Amino acid sequence: MRKLNVACASLLIALFGGPALADGHLNKMMPDELLPLAEAEGTVTVYSFTSRIGKVEAAFEEAYPNIDLQGFDISSTEQIARLKAEAQAGITNADVVYISDTPVVLTELLEAGIIVPYVAPRIADRVPEQYKSPLLAQRLSTKVLMYNEEANPAGAPVSNLWALTTEDWKGRVIIVDPLQRGDYLDLMTEIVLQSDAMAAAYKDHFGAEIDLGSAANAGEKFIADLFANDVVLVSSTDDVNAAVGKLGQENPPVGFTSYSDRRDNEEEGWALQVANDVKPAPGIIFPAVVALAEGAQNPAAARLVIDFLMGDESETGGPGLAPFYVAGDYVTRTDIPPHPDAVPLDEFTAWRIQPAETANARAAVGDLVLTLQ
Amino acid sequence: MVGIAMSGLGWRVVFRQGNVLKSVVLALLVALIVLPLLRTALFTLQPETIAAWTDVLASRLSRNLFYRPLANTLLIGAIVASSCVLIGGFLAWLVVMTDVPYRRTIGVMATLPFMIPSFAAALAWGTLFRNDRLGGQVGVLQGSGLDIPDWLAWGMVPTLVVLTLHYFSLAFTIIAAALATVNSDLIEAAQIAGAKSRKILLGIVLPVTTPALVAAGSLCFAGAVSNFATPALLGLPVRMQTLSTRLFGMIEVGQTARGYVIGVLLVLISAVFLWAGNRVVSGRRSYATITGKGGRAKRFNLRGARWPLFAAALAILTAATIVPVLVLLASSFAPSSAELFANWTTHYWFGTSNPAIAQGTPGIVHNPDILRALIVTLSLGISVAFTGMFVGLLAAYVVARYRHGALSAAITQVAFLPLLVPGIAFGAAYIVYLGAPIGPFPALYGTFALLVIAATAYLLPFAVQTGRAVIQQVSGELEESARITGASLARRLAQITVPLAVRGLAAGGLLIFVKIIRDLSLVVLLFTPTMPVLSVLAYRYASEGFGQFANAITVIILTISLAATLFASRLQAKSQPWLNRG
Repeated sequence: MRKLNVACASLLIALFGGPALADGHLNKMMPDELLPLAEAEGTVTVYSFTSRIGKVEAAFEEAYPNIDLQGFDISSTEQIARLKAEAQAGITNADVVYISDTPVVLTELLEAGIIVPYVAPRIADRVPEQYKSPLLAQRLSTKVLMYNEEANPAGAPVSNLWALTTEDWKGRVIIVDPLQRGDYLDLMTEIVLQSDAMAAAYKDHFGAEIDLGSAANAGEKFIADLFANDVVLVSSTDDVNAAVGKLGQENPPVGFTSYSDRRDNEEEGWALQVANDVKPAPGIIFPAVVALAEGAQNPAAARLVIDFLMGDESETGGPGLAPFYVAGDYVTRTDIPPHPDAVPLDEFTAWRIQPAETANARAAVGDLVLTLQ
Repeated sequence: MVGIAMSGLGWRVVFRQGNVLKSVVLALLVALIVLPLLRTALFTLQPETIAAWTDVLASRLSRNLFYRPLANTLLIGAIVASSCVLIGGFLAWLVVMTDVPYRRTIGVMATLPFMIPSFAAALAWGTLFRNDRLGGQVGVLQGSGLDIPDWLAWGMVPTLVVLTLHYFSLAFTIIAAALATVNSDLIEAAQIAGAKSRKILLGIVLPVTTPALVAAGSLCFAGAVSNFATPALLGLPVRMQTLSTRLFGMIEVGQTARGYVIGVLLVLISAVFLWAGNRVVSGRRSYATITGKGGRAKRFNLRGARWPLFAAALAILTAATIVPVLVLLASSFAPSSAELFANWTTHYWFGTSNPAIAQGTPGIVHNPDILRALIVTLSLGISVAFTGMFVGLLAAYVVARYRHGALSAAITQVAFLPLLVPGIAFGAAYIVYLGAPIGPFPALYGTFALLVIAATAYLLPFAVQTGRAVIQQVSGELEESARITGASLARRLAQITVPLAVRGLAAGGLLIFVKIIRDLSLVVLLFTPTMPVLSVLAYRYASEGFGQFANAITVIILTISLAATLFASRLQAKSQPWLNRG
């Protein structure tokens, strides 16, 4: 049966003009055209940087019962290492790559030809240009300052990032080690790139011009002061969430984590809330992109998965988008209304990262963090 | 003794034969161990990566990148190694040479801690001692009102304790095997001559077992130095870095050149330490302690110290085995780790997918990924135990029988190299080495074969060490007799050396099986979705915050390890004089 399916698929591909043209042709197909080809392929492998792929898997297999979606939850940094190793070995395990950490993805995966862009034609006219090129962004994710709203019912306990460098917050700011997670290095890099805003915020907070000392700019000065103030490094965002959000704390710390982790408050017993009004900005907002693996073994099913991940025609995108239609994630499709419980995107003050600029400055900021540890 | 045999029986022939065998073994070891490391080293010497050497050794980054982690690493290695030899030696002495009560129980329990993955022990430490430095959930002790200081919750002290409680059983296994083979003639002679127990211990037992003590110390040193999980989990919140956490971090953020430079330096430093340890052992006269004759000496009578010493052993073993296992087991049922014994649910074991819990991950008996990983893990353990002991026996035999000459020294050094390479670096090196096609050979990335080859190479030191400890003590005169009667090398190995050394070999195979099924650092990079193993699944669940699933899988790993140990000790029962006699 399986062989027959493969034979049918080969026949279909042959009819459509051979492998060389097939990809280009596939890129223009709507889901109903992709479906018979995808069903002939029978299976599709997705590398995903979020554990929510488990929910996507269940929803996808319900929508397309003849296709087995194999979802693997692999962090962005590890995906990059794995995809590079696989490319070097001449092996393509993944069909779809769902990943953040775009500064590295653009240079080391896209430019190296390890992944290729694909924009699902069904929704192409409903995604702004900036989120379609160089790679299709499914949503925007965040690393922002969060606090415990149970212990701080009146709102965020800090109004300016520079407060985190003062005695009040000594040993009470939690971040993931920026040398272990790319997203956090991107956050530190953005703080350096936003040095002018940081300098202005310093004057706002302390009422005096910033004295840089040996630092090259206000961003570097902030990072140095933060580390000197005994910032606590942990190894995963869930550690930050538990530390900051855990209910029943009298004097909880604050920390940088994903705004969307607020969705787990009820389930995990947390009280996470974003400090959106903090000056100059609570953190960064960055795209989560979907792409095809170069030489994907199941090209039609891969495209069908990306189409599915972009959401269906119902009001909030249906089951494919449901795991991501939560407060704190910003879906890129313009026709999907913003999540009612979240700060609207245009009021959300986090910095939008520019992947190319971040990529340039990243290594130097990494070195700075290294000297401070 | 070998020297005499050589000169007496036309040593040229023996020498030539030895050299051929040695060259074959060395070539095998070079292909398994040196080439992947060499490729890694060459990687750091390319024009675009060579600057990493300056960054690591002589720049404003060096202090944090290299020197402070180096100091931490050496401190951990030295303290853990000496504590392990003390504790492991103490327990081995109790079990093998004294009349302490419940010797069998102590003997079995002392081998257990090694089966508990060190990351599980570190997590268990956190569950008990975690304080409010991170806010959020606190451990059981802090939760019950005690104020746990930072130094006890995080950093160097917990790392030392967890690693010592993890590695001392390795020292126990090696020292017990050596003590069990101490020639009773020597002790009886001393007893007849009226020597006191203390005098026998210090004057005979200790010198004769010095090679085993040094070997145990080196293995524990190497293990502690390259351990990743424990310092990563317990050190990070107080910013304590070791060379292996640094290496991991560098590779994680894509600074592979710096990472590999640290890896190369770690190998070099470790090589110096091993070379020194090896000098201590090979500089001594050798003691052939298993001869064709001789029985067992009487056990030391501990008299009034029997029960106090038993209590001391029991306290150590409880802390190292029962406590972490209970904590893991309890937390695989407890929705909240702060209240370990409240609101228990079996969902994490037997539940079906529930979207409200852990992103809908089903309980582990309903999880096809875990079944697949279980099969791969078991196959891997068994394959590697066999391939490892085969190569290990060859190397151990060659080194023990033809111990002189540069080739033998080279074999020893090479066989021990992988100990000092952090698993993650070894995994990375193997991806560079066999990940891409070499000539007519296909790329092995993502295959079972790559896991087996890399694991065999990585665990060879353990195979060689256990093989060597026993083979070295099989008296040369037995083999000489066979050689005089014209037995071939293969026949001598099969009929004399292997049967006499089978206990050591089985112990080695067991060590390897247990080590690989609970190894995380080596397989975490070699792992591919199509070739899953249990420990990586457990790690993934832990890092996603699904600690209950991680702990449940760890309990499965523990159960398999335990079953393997009990099975092996049944097989060995006939040849375990320290348990059955006297």
